Amino acid sequence: MSRAGNGIALVIGSGGVKCAAAIGLQRCLARESINIDLVVGCSGGSIYAAAIALGKNAEEAAALSTALWTRDVTAQPDRAALMRMLFPKLLGFTERFGLKKDHVVWERLMTAFGELTFADCKIPLFITATDFRTGEQVTISEGRIADAVRASIAIPFAFAPWEVNGRLCIDGFLSDPLPVGVAIREGAQVIIAMGFESPYQERVTSGGRFAFQLSSIMTNNLLKASFAFHGLAHHSEVIAVIPQFSQRIRLFDTGKIPLLIDEGDAAMGEQLPYLRRLLAAVPA
Amino acid sequence: MSIRLGSTGERSLGDFSERRARIGLVIGSGGIKCTAAAGMLKVLEREKIPVDVAVGCSGGAIYSALYALGDSAAEIERQTMVLWKDLFSKLHYRSLLRAIAPMFMGYHEQVGMVDDRQVWKVLEALFGERTFADTKIPLLQSATDFRTGEKVVLDSGRITDATRASIAIPMLLRAWEVDGRMLVDGGASNPLPIDVAIREGCDIILAMGFESQMNADIRSLVNALGRTSTIVTNHLLRATFAFYSVAHHAEVLPIMPVLDRHIGLTETQHIPYLIEQGERAAEEQMPYLRRLLQASMAGPLPTPGL
Repeated sequence: MSRAGNGIALVIGSGGVKCAAAIGLQRCLARESINIDLVVGCSGGSIYAAAIALGKNAEEAAALSTALWTRDVTAQPDRAALMRMLFPKLLGFTERFGLKKDHVVWERLMTAFGELTFADCKIPLFITATDFRTGEQVTISEGRIADAVRASIAIPFAFAPWEVNGRLCIDGFLSDPLPVGVAIREGAQVIIAMGFESPYQERVTSGGRFAFQLSSIMTNNLLKASFAFHGLAHHSEVIAVIPQFSQRIRLFDTGKIPLLIDEGDAAMGEQLPYLRRLLAAVPA
Repeated sequence: MSIRLGSTGERSLGDFSERRARIGLVIGSGGIKCTAAAGMLKVLEREKIPVDVAVGCSGGAIYSALYALGDSAAEIERQTMVLWKDLFSKLHYRSLLRAIAPMFMGYHEQVGMVDDRQVWKVLEALFGERTFADTKIPLLQSATDFRTGEKVVLDSGRITDATRASIAIPMLLRAWEVDGRMLVDGGASNPLPIDVAIREGCDIILAMGFESQMNADIRSLVNALGRTSTIVTNHLLRATFAFYSVAHHAEVLPIMPVLDRHIGLTETQHIPYLIEQGERAAEEQMPYLRRLLQASMAGPLPTPGL
């Protein structure tokens, strides 16, 4: 059921480890022999978008994500950065601030993607980040994939911003947690958009949790507003796939990846009848 | 018999006030930049624009309330010159310590850096015991539920309470409980609540909103926090504005003052400039607004196509 041009686009939004649900979505589509023509990823979603674009199957993508997302990625605090945070004037605080040591996450990304570039992809890949200086959304579609993913997952205050093509980038979720707009601009006819809401804190017991709660409130509202606009503005169909997880998933709950994959598969399965009707209506 | 907008094409001079379009005024969040509303209100008063509903969010909630209560533009401008000087002048030191050392002081959901008594005093001086029932036109203020992240619309009870909830800038001011819900700044969910005016059945919506300016340099964690929240707020503002403009079946007129400088929350010396920019931005929309109003008196407004 392959289509010429940019027929079906898959957009995977931000959501930390929850983005592994995209593997299930991919598995579901593969089972139904529905091909994706273009893929867009934001933050955690960029890892799976890249895996899909490079032609990795569901098993390979699952193996890749278990290897990437381990606790030691964030377990090592950068003590020098901590001191700079506490004594900004004395030690010099800059916009390239991040509390976690960079080399672990970078090594993981290099193991996963190495020197592969966007040109190595089987289908067009777009990864979104946010320009930290202007606040604009940045769409990356050339250069090394590892660089683009690193920029897209630069969670503020945890990982330092990352320079890509001369722009200092931070996490893509700050400008749009579910960048459907990129797929629209690329002329997709049917857009499958997998998005995730950020969880709310059960109790706000520290300044850090307060900041998390606030960030969830703002980005969830941004997700809804931007999705509402793109759903209305787009001249063809946006199919929202929002998995409802039966358990609370935290940012680094990698043990739950098999569960996430199954739930992503089920969520896509629910939309299949509608997708089939659409594909029957859209001329090939 | 009164003929309402959109009912028939009949005309009767006496029915003009009944038949004209329903106008909503929405003033969004923007901290001290909301003082530009004082300039806009001067223009609305001078041009005798009949506003039917006032909606406000955060700093804008103060101005929508004063306007709905019937204060004159001159009076609102006079109050502006004093109110912002007092609002954030005192810090709450215990909260500061709590934020820095939660282990020792005991962290509390109710954290805020600014002395609340001072803020409360300023709001009480403005609104006293007056309630939403005392306004000349319907008033609606928006806030955010801190536990669920939902948008909350306040339209009853004491205006002082609702305004205090709407301006609860996270970190600076403590959350405020209204009807059992813990509320923070409306800007966190919807910086320019055009949807509230849409639900109130407005045909023409004057929407004064403010983009936050990016701070030039990052020299501390607070700067970095400020910039990330600015980025998200601006995208939230643009996304909601884009959506409501497409979704609304009538006209949304943006009144967005263009500022040539970064203005911090306590930089009250820029207030005269802000008022001037608010006046200028409102004036730019007047010719179009007048045409819309005239068209609405001649018959129902054409529905813009999607």
